[in-house]
Amino acid sequence: MSGQSHTRSLRFALLTIPVLLLAIVWLQTRIDVDTRTIAQEKEELLVRSAPLLKKLSLGYESLLADIYWTRAVQYYGTNVMLPGHKFELLWPLLDITTTLDPKLIVAYRFGAIFLSEPLVGAGRADLAAQLVERGVAANPDDWHLDADLGFLYYWYLKDYEKASAAYLEASKKPDAPVLMKMMAAEVAAKGDSFAASTAIWSEIFETSQDPAVKKNAFQHLQSLQAQQDLLALDKYAEDYRQRNGRYPATTKELYETGIISGIPLDPAGIAYVFGPDGKAQLDPKSPVILDKAAKRSPR
Amino acid sequence: MSTIPGIVAINTFREAVRDRVLYNLIFFALMMISASILVGEISIGISRLVIINLGLSAISIFGLIMAIFIGVGLVSKEIEKRTLYTLLSKPVRRWEFLVGKFGGLLLTLTVNTALMTLGLAAALFYVSRSFLRADVSILVAVYFILLELALVTALALFFSCFSSPMLSTLFTLGIYVAGVFSKDIRDIGILTLNPVMQGATRVLYYVLPNFHNFNAITAAAHGESIPVSLIWQNTAYAALYVALVLIAASAVFSGRNLK
Repeated sequence: MSGQSHTRSLRFALLTIPVLLLAIVWLQTRIDVDTRTIAQEKEELLVRSAPLLKKLSLGYESLLADIYWTRAVQYYGTNVMLPGHKFELLWPLLDITTTLDPKLIVAYRFGAIFLSEPLVGAGRADLAAQLVERGVAANPDDWHLDADLGFLYYWYLKDYEKASAAYLEASKKPDAPVLMKMMAAEVAAKGDSFAASTAIWSEIFETSQDPAVKKNAFQHLQSLQAQQDLLALDKYAEDYRQRNGRYPATTKELYETGIISGIPLDPAGIAYVFGPDGKAQLDPKSPVILDKAAKRSPR
Repeated sequence: MSTIPGIVAINTFREAVRDRVLYNLIFFALMMISASILVGEISIGISRLVIINLGLSAISIFGLIMAIFIGVGLVSKEIEKRTLYTLLSKPVRRWEFLVGKFGGLLLTLTVNTALMTLGLAAALFYVSRSFLRADVSILVAVYFILLELALVTALALFFSCFSSPMLSTLFTLGIYVAGVFSKDIRDIGILTLNPVMQGATRVLYYVLPNFHNFNAITAAAHGESIPVSLIWQNTAYAALYVALVLIAASAVFSGRNLK
């Protein structure tokens, strides 16, 4: 008897459960439509205090950091598709992620990209630099973060001094490629910090065992020397113009008027020349190659 | 040396297995498999980290739930079913019964944790196709979780000696949360600049079980090495604290009128 009753209730369950499930799914779709018309779902970050979240995590802050990082990636990925995206929650999400797990290097590196990119990101390179600086402080042995910081200062913030310092810092860290030191020198030169750039390239030249790196450093040192000479000659040419009403055609003219005490030669031993606009130039025969960054604006 | 605690422990373990306690492993396995497959799709650069963080956190959380909810019922269930009276009518001392119950639950938790660790290792291998030397830290983190669970089990058992399962759960959870925040409690005292408060919070800091000691999940996830000194210090800390709590539990339980 009880066997029959069991079979009956089993049959009843098998019949009714799928029907009820279908009804529930249908109902949910209706509810979704209604709630969408009531209010647009807005992304919110209920707790913005990272230290508070860390306390509330009861020791599971690493896992929570992974969740917040995934949320940040999803937030970026969703918003980047929208026209006129603003990424208002990006910084708080990254702030929380990196406070919960200061060793989550991927969050600093990709987070900085999301924050700094002007077209497909928040366009906040200042916040990106702040984020990466925190990463550097929390992960002092990781050269990638210093390199990223150098890039942010160089490319977006145009602070060549800080960029050079960041690249130089990266070069001192374990496993950093020699390229970091080169970048430091390159960037310092772009910012007209000849002394810093020369010092770094000289060190690379003296310490590197790689002939190609050595040759590259030598060329940069020659370029730096030439750049400094050209800038000085430009000033002398201006003095010459004020006295004579025209720019000098050769360095010899400067020498003859007593503005300079000798004929300056470039690192290859060839005299500099002046262009029609009165700007000092390398002689076209000179083998010295100027860095692209060293190009000066015409008068 | 009495073998009674060992016999009680084995029976407690068997009972837990019979009660399908280890079924939580199925949920754990499903969670690890889903995480291994999903995380790579929805996040960037943290597949390995998530597996370690999620695996270790799950081992800890599942273990805590088991330790608390089974631990608080260890004594009361025996009283309810009246099996305790049969047991105590035999040459079994009350402390032996308690130590046996503690050992049994700890054995259950150890087996459960060991199986979960295997699951974690499998998921990790699936994600990264290799193990790193630094992954030894994961085993240390698992060991620390076990120490934490031993302490929680002892506390749950202690409370269950004199109060109902519901209250014992609340007390154990309360002590656990306070133990996680013990450093903050001390720091709050320092902030007050009141010497009495500072003294009181300092006492609390040392008296409460410091569960923060056993948290090595972040270090394990980032492959940081855990100093050997910390391993033995944590082991000694847990052993001393468990001994203290079990002695207190035995004292309370031996004075309890079971009629």
